[in-house]
Amino acid sequence: MKPLNLIALLLFLGAATWALTRSESAVRDIQSKYFAAISPFLKSGSELETHARAFLEETNHSKALETELEAMRGEMGRLRLIESRYRDLETENNQMRRALAFKKLTRFDVVGAQVIRRQPTTWWQTVEIDAGEKSGIALQYVVLSNEGLVGKIDRIDKDRSSVLLLTDEKCLVSAKVEGSREVGILSGQRSQADGEPRLRLKYLSKDAQLKAGQRVLTTGLGGIFQPNIVLGTIESVESDALNSEAIVRPAVDFADLSTVFVVLSGDP
Amino acid sequence: MIRYTITTVLLVLASFVVQQFIPAFTGFHQSRILLVQLVFLCSAVTVGSPTMLLLAFISGFLWDTQSYIGTLNGDPQIYTQPVESLRFGYSILLFAAMGYLMQGVQPLFHQGKWQFSVVLSGIAIFLYLMAEYLIICFVRGGMMMDRFIVIQMACTALLTMLFSPIVFWILFRIAALCRHSINPAAAKKKNRRRRR
Repeated sequence: MKPLNLIALLLFLGAATWALTRSESAVRDIQSKYFAAISPFLKSGSELETHARAFLEETNHSKALETELEAMRGEMGRLRLIESRYRDLETENNQMRRALAFKKLTRFDVVGAQVIRRQPTTWWQTVEIDAGEKSGIALQYVVLSNEGLVGKIDRIDKDRSSVLLLTDEKCLVSAKVEGSREVGILSGQRSQADGEPRLRLKYLSKDAQLKAGQRVLTTGLGGIFQPNIVLGTIESVESDALNSEAIVRPAVDFADLSTVFVVLSGDP
Repeated sequence: MIRYTITTVLLVLASFVVQQFIPAFTGFHQSRILLVQLVFLCSAVTVGSPTMLLLAFISGFLWDTQSYIGTLNGDPQIYTQPVESLRFGYSILLFAAMGYLMQGVQPLFHQGKWQFSVVLSGIAIFLYLMAEYLIICFVRGGMMMDRFIVIQMACTALLTMLFSPIVFWILFRIAALCRHSINPAAAKKKNRRRRR
C-alpha cells in the first residue's frame, strides 16, 4: 500500500471512530444544522411539488374537484358546529372537574400540518411535516390523521419536524382490542409483504379470543399516546405455546398521507 | 485534479438535495433510486483511494444525519423491550466498503470499459442494502429474510443501476471541464488514433 493511501485510511478510520462515538444530543445538534442548511431547498422543492400536483389534479379532475370541494365545504361547516359544541362541552367538563376538585384537566388541542417530504431511505418509515417548535410542537408529541394514529414526533426544528410513522418497527404503542380484555404492544414490521403495511400486536395472552375486524385502540399507558385513538383492525391471529400475536391492518392510509394533526399536549 | 475532487464533493452534496424529492415506487415493490449511493459509487471508480475515503466519509456522515432516529421511548414499565436504534456513523464504513469494491474495477475503467462499472454499481447497491438490513437484524434481533425484502433490494439496485450511465456521463463532462483525465488509457488510445 502506498504511504499516502495508508495515511488516508488511518485518517478515515479516526474520523469514522469520532462519528461512531457521538452522543445522541450531539447527533441531534448535527441533524438540526444539516436540516437548517438544506431547508431552503426542501421548502422550494416541496412548494414546487405541491404546485405541480395541484396543477395536474386541477386539469385532470376540475369538475370532480369542484363537486368534492362543495361537499367538503358542507362537511367543514358541520364539523365547525360540532367543534364549537365540543368546546362548550369541554369547558363545561373542566368546570365540573374543578368543581369536584379533580385536578387533571383534559386538553386536546391540535395543530394541522402538511407532509412535505417522505423519508428517502429503504428501511425507515418517517415523514417530514411543515410545523415545528414555532407551532408549539415538542418531541414525542402524537400525530393523527382523520383516520387514526399516524405516529409520533421524533425530531424537531423551528418550523418543521420529523414524524416516526406507526408502520416503523421502532414505533411502539401500547394497544388494546375493542370488545376484549386483551392488551399488547403494537409496532410496525421490518418486512412489509407486498408493500402493504401491516402492524403486529404482540404479547397477547396465549388463548386470546380475537376475531378479524375487531378494532385496535391505544390504551393511554406508557406516557406518550392518549387513550382510545384508533390504530387499525385485526386481520389475523397467530398463537404459539407462550402467547399470541395479531396482524393488524392500519386505519391510516400511509401511502396517501398529506394533512396530519399534531396533538399539542404532552399529557396522555 | 483538485478541481475535479472538489466538484465530485459538490456533486455528492447536490445528490443529497435531489434525493429528498425522489419517492419510493409503490408499483415496483417499494423500490427507490438511491441517488446518493449511486453518485458516490460512480465517483469512487474515477478517483484515487484518499479521495474515495473522503467522499465515503461525507456521504456516510450526511446519510446518517438525515436518517438517524432517536432512542426515546415511553415509560419503560410499559415498553419493556424497546427496539434498538442503529449507531450513528455506521454508513460511513458501509460507503467505504462499497467504494473499495468499486475501485476493484478501476483498471478496466481506466481502459475505457466503463460498462463493467455500471454493472458493479448495481451489485454494490444490492450488497449495500443487504449489509444494512443484516446490521438491522443483528442489532434488533430476529432474522427475517423473505421474498419481498430480496425483491425490494434487487429492484432498488436495478433501478439505481439504470441511472449510472447518466452519472458517468456527467462525471466525464465534469472531468473534461476540469481538464482532468479520469480514464487515461482511453485518452492515450484516442490521441494515438488522432496522430495516425
